[in-house]
Amino acid sequence: MKKIETSRRRFLQGSVALCVYATSSFSFTSKQNSSITTIENIPYLCNMCRNKCAGFARVQNNTITKLNPNKYFPKSRNMLCPKGNAGIQAIYDKDRLKYPLIRIGNRGDGRYKRVTWDEAYEYIKDKLVTIIDEEKDNRSTIAYCNGEGFNKDEYIKFFGSKLGSANFLDEGSICLNTKLGATQLTIGDIGEMDVAGSDYLIISGANRYESLITPDSIDMIHSKQKLVVLDPRCTVTALKADEYLPLNPGTDLAFCLSMIYIAIKEKLYNETYVKEYFKDFDKLQKHILKNNYTASWAESKTHIPAKKIEQISREFFGAKNPLYYLGRRSVWAQNDFQLRRAMVLINALAGSVNRKGGIIFGKPFVLKQEQINEAFYNNSQGRFDLDGIVYGSQKGGSWLNFREKVLTKKAPYPVRAMFIRKHNIMQNMPNIAKTKEMLNGMDLVVVLDTMPSDTAMMADVILPECTYLEREDMVVSFNRLEPSLALRNKVVEPLYESRSMQDILHGLGRKLSKPLFAVSAKYDEDLQESIEELGAKNAFKEGGYDFTELYQNSIEQRNKKLIVSQFGLDVYTSLKTKGVWHPYIGKQKELYNDYYEYYPKEKRFYTVDRKYRVNCYLGKLEKSGFDPMPTWHSHYDFKLSEDSFRLITGRYITSTQTATTNNIMLKEFQEKNHLWINDRVAKKLDIKEGDTLVINSPIESVVIQAYPTNKIAPQVLWFAHGFGTESEELTNAYGKGASDNMIIEDKFEKIYGCATMHETNVTIRKL
Amino acid sequence: MKIGPINIPLKEDFSLKSILGFEKTPMNMLVAVLTLAFLAMFVVGVATYLMHGHHAYNVTREHPWGLLIAVYIFFVVSSTGFCIVGSLGDVFGFKDYMMISKRAIFGSIVTILAGFAVIAFEIGHPVTMLIYNVLSPGLTSAIWWMGTLYGIYLTFMIVEFYFLLNNNMQKARIFGLIGLLVGLAAHSNLGGVFGFLNARTISNGVFYPTYFILTAFITGIYLSFIIMGFRYKMNFDEKTKALLVGLAKIQTLLIAILMFFETWKMLTAVYGGMPNRAEVAEHIMHSGAFMYGEVLMGMLIPFTVMLLTKWRSVTTYVWTSVIGMVGIFFMRYDLVHDTQLKPLQMMKTHEYQLPPSWVEYFPSATEIMISLGGLGLCVLLYYVGTRAFNLDEEH
Amino acid sequence: MMANYAMAFDYKLCINCHACEVACKEENGIDLGAKNHRLWIDEDGETEGDFWNLARDKITFIQMQCQECQDAPCLKACPNGAIYIDDNGIVRLYKEKCDLTLACMKACPYDARYIDEKNAITDKCIFCADTRLARGETTTACQITCPAKLRYFGDLDDEESEISKILRERKHFTLKPELGTKPKLFYLE
Repeated sequence: MKKIETSRRRFLQGSVALCVYATSSFSFTSKQNSSITTIENIPYLCNMCRNKCAGFARVQNNTITKLNPNKYFPKSRNMLCPKGNAGIQAIYDKDRLKYPLIRIGNRGDGRYKRVTWDEAYEYIKDKLVTIIDEEKDNRSTIAYCNGEGFNKDEYIKFFGSKLGSANFLDEGSICLNTKLGATQLTIGDIGEMDVAGSDYLIISGANRYESLITPDSIDMIHSKQKLVVLDPRCTVTALKADEYLPLNPGTDLAFCLSMIYIAIKEKLYNETYVKEYFKDFDKLQKHILKNNYTASWAESKTHIPAKKIEQISREFFGAKNPLYYLGRRSVWAQNDFQLRRAMVLINALAGSVNRKGGIIFGKPFVLKQEQINEAFYNNSQGRFDLDGIVYGSQKGGSWLNFREKVLTKKAPYPVRAMFIRKHNIMQNMPNIAKTKEMLNGMDLVVVLDTMPSDTAMMADVILPECTYLEREDMVVSFNRLEPSLALRNKVVEPLYESRSMQDILHGLGRKLSKPLFAVSAKYDEDLQESIEELGAKNAFKEGGYDFTELYQNSIEQRNKKLIVSQFGLDVYTSLKTKGVWHPYIGKQKELYNDYYEYYPKEKRFYTVDRKYRVNCYLGKLEKSGFDPMPTWHSHYDFKLSEDSFRLITGRYITSTQTATTNNIMLKEFQEKNHLWINDRVAKKLDIKEGDTLVINSPIESVVIQAYPTNKIAPQVLWFAHGFGTESEELTNAYGKGASDNMIIEDKFEKIYGCATMHETNVTIRKL
Repeated sequence: MKIGPINIPLKEDFSLKSILGFEKTPMNMLVAVLTLAFLAMFVVGVATYLMHGHHAYNVTREHPWGLLIAVYIFFVVSSTGFCIVGSLGDVFGFKDYMMISKRAIFGSIVTILAGFAVIAFEIGHPVTMLIYNVLSPGLTSAIWWMGTLYGIYLTFMIVEFYFLLNNNMQKARIFGLIGLLVGLAAHSNLGGVFGFLNARTISNGVFYPTYFILTAFITGIYLSFIIMGFRYKMNFDEKTKALLVGLAKIQTLLIAILMFFETWKMLTAVYGGMPNRAEVAEHIMHSGAFMYGEVLMGMLIPFTVMLLTKWRSVTTYVWTSVIGMVGIFFMRYDLVHDTQLKPLQMMKTHEYQLPPSWVEYFPSATEIMISLGGLGLCVLLYYVGTRAFNLDEEH
Repeated sequence: MMANYAMAFDYKLCINCHACEVACKEENGIDLGAKNHRLWIDEDGETEGDFWNLARDKITFIQMQCQECQDAPCLKACPNGAIYIDDNGIVRLYKEKCDLTLACMKACPYDARYIDEKNAITDKCIFCADTRLARGETTTACQITCPAKLRYFGDLDDEESEISKILRERKHFTLKPELGTKPKLFYLE
């Protein structure tokens, strides 16, 4: 292997040197003569899912021919998953949005005309000027949203800081805000889980082997900890677990409460840690013991044998570095916030915070922010989607509460326009009919995306963004335990007429700044004063009304300035040539077979300088009428009528929500979704593999093929999210499988305003 | 007709008119119409294949060989069978069988040509095959030996036929003998193609190479009955009757041997329940193609009829031979299909599938059209031959 | 440069993520279509019993592809001598000699071959010989992308290579050894 290794290194170095600043100017002579000199390997960061793994794109004749893993990145550990590999089909997808489009038919019917970028901007400007004028400069009438991704902050700067709207929404309230909030409020930081360092790992519900999170999933494969998995469905993660505990859906909290009970009752917890860090431990102890959350009580809720619960609890608290995995896409049920808190408390009781194998605050690289001049609008009103929510995310808000208030006109002012970027809101949140209704009520819907998604089909104006392989993005800091910087370099020039988000906003900003300034000048008394004082030109400039302020320089220039000033030229060169930088980049040790150790063990950031407390008791919750501590209520019990089922959802390893189901390569692995139904139940109902079923929920019904299996609990149904696309423009995905959000009821919990995805009961019927 | 030193004695009245001048009996008309229909299908089938390639066929990764291979085997076995029957007279000197020699040798040429015509549309690059067969012979490949030897065999058959036409019995015998030996070698190599499949225990071993020779002889006799019945319109003279009675007796013996072969093959395959062999054998025995096709039509019906009628009812045997040939077709089809029945890949590769069980295959319309086209081609060539040449024994 | 390339699988680590399959198809330009693949993952076994008492231990994921037989049945079965073993010990095909008789497909005990329609030949895994190895790289697409890094690819003749070492250290088996094909793909216990 050594021989191979050295020659491989030589190859990489040789080819990397050639591609320092990739341009498209070389010519490709002969196909047969594809020697190293005609190949460039350009470092990039993947965007096929939220992980952002690092890779090298091989470019031949201005075409990407292969995506390979990047061994320098501690987060992705020198691998690319199937989706990462299939990213090549994302840029070359024939269904991509290619040109700016303006709607000529009805919303949703897919009839658009091709326009120039200028025409598109002009159209948006006219509409916005009218709307904002009619709303008397209340900028918050323009809502805007963005799914996860690197450019979210720049997008917020444009619509929030510059345009002045308070109504930003993101995926947090349909994904993981309860988990983030629970961790933050309990231990004072959202932290990071050291899966690699743990010797005993409990995972509730999360499916790390089919929904890969780097480095967690990779570390699970490579480390030898005992893995315990709780899930109402036997996932691949469960298949691979040392112990699989099948349980009733939504009862993980009962298991956690019982673990805490056993830890307290048997004094298994880490007394020194509790003494030093816990706040209100006596309240927790009293609460848990009073409610008598014994193992046999938990058995009656979860269906996990009491003996097993006791055994796992004792093993966990007896382990050297145990970790109760906090999950990622959480928000299953009303109790989710307290469920995640219970998980954090279990880790804390074991002392697994800021030590090997625990929740780590670490020491991430903090990137300096570019300063911009924020505009101020007196008439712009605040957000309303957190009314009635205890905490909520001030950044991303609560989607379902927002939508409900807009629809029922309970919002304090009308929301008349929406800018949607990289966020398929027509498929990503429960009760699609309501999203459709909300968009239909808007005067202007603008979609920035790469694909003609169901949401794009609802737009008045579609602005084609380029894919992640066609643009440079601002440098990003990753991870806490083994921190690194990574840069998404541009691999090839944008195809068709697509543009990067920055270029799109730059163009739009040039068009909007002055006319919208004029609207403000009409209504905003402070601005009128300022104009009087400074003159219109200076008032405009100093007041921060120039939307293009951030985009005066190219991303490349901005990155260089930012990185060189904060970290030096070497770091910048490393980011441009290797895509990554961390202090050990040249010294990382190969453990075996191209698998590396990045930070030496003793250099990882386990300890933390700042003080923190473990908050057992949250007084604000009590004041708002909610449980201050994790508590079980009888309505959390898993009880269903005889003929109904609890619908839960998840995903396949080969798909990222709706974003990848049109990918022609990934389609080969999962073309559509299937309904998992317990084999014995199916037999009773005479349902066979491949039978077509109708699933009826209180709001809608969908049709799907049955997959009877012994890998799912009797009164539970599961099918993967991401299918059932209605946009005919997505030719590979259209009409394949069923959409979960068609039938999931739009309920949300009140601590963070997050959609509870696993609380819908359904019935089935053979077609 | 004379071409240099080569003298091909054509019938004096041979012309397009003589070809079309057959008696317009309902039976003849039916055969004529069917032949033309089959030829038309051949054209359509080949055109479809040329447009869509192997997509026009129902062959798959698990079942790469389909009907066309079966039909090819059917024709080349027929050819070998004709050759064996033809050799009885002119090579081995059995006087009674001399009268069928020329006809049978011509039959062997016609059938192998039909076989080649069919296989040309199964092999992806037939020209490549011809070139590299010579330039880089695969000497360990049964297919190479089979193809090469069949090529030589065809040459010898043509030469033998030439000398038979010219009544040069001396030379006909020499070429006939060599041709027969080469043909048998080629034929057993065809068996070897299947016998060498180590990974498929159902077909691996000595059975197929020997079985092919045996069934070739049986096929040859069935076909002899059919062509003689066609030639004499069922009104046999005494000499022909004697010939056919003799053939019927040989046929009874051969079928009896074949039944022994098959019985023991199946018994040994099932015995002990050896994985991959026993269940395949059982599966084969439960298929209609095997029980009704191979066993009933290919063996039992002709065998029983001949036993019951004590080899005297030669006209009946013409009809049972037609049934027998249908059975022989199923033997070839089953041979190809059965050796691919059990997937080598027995595990799921995808969550939403049942584990692979038996490989399913049914020929596509294109495959069927090309196959029937091969039959049409064979009948046409043979019929033209009967018009062009004197295929009867000359005195 | 001559080598004797082989692969060893730490097969129990597989999580059936399909990264290897996609990487292979992208690297080697394999025709689209689920059945067109040089490598695939077999799901061996099923979960047994009732959901609450599920037996999971029978399930393993097995990496499947051409086994690089040293005594290759496909090579022997080819009528045109189109199949050969190259200097690196890899079973290869002279593309111009392939006539699509499919004798190799029938002869292969591992179902490793499929019809490459674009080039009208039968195709199978060749350890990226005409893509990555030809460019001087020393990893295969599947090996380098694998999250579990369970594929050890290297030179058997080099005693210092990682594959040689791991084969010395750990018990391993080959598939269908009774057929005498002498595969060069090893499954580590």
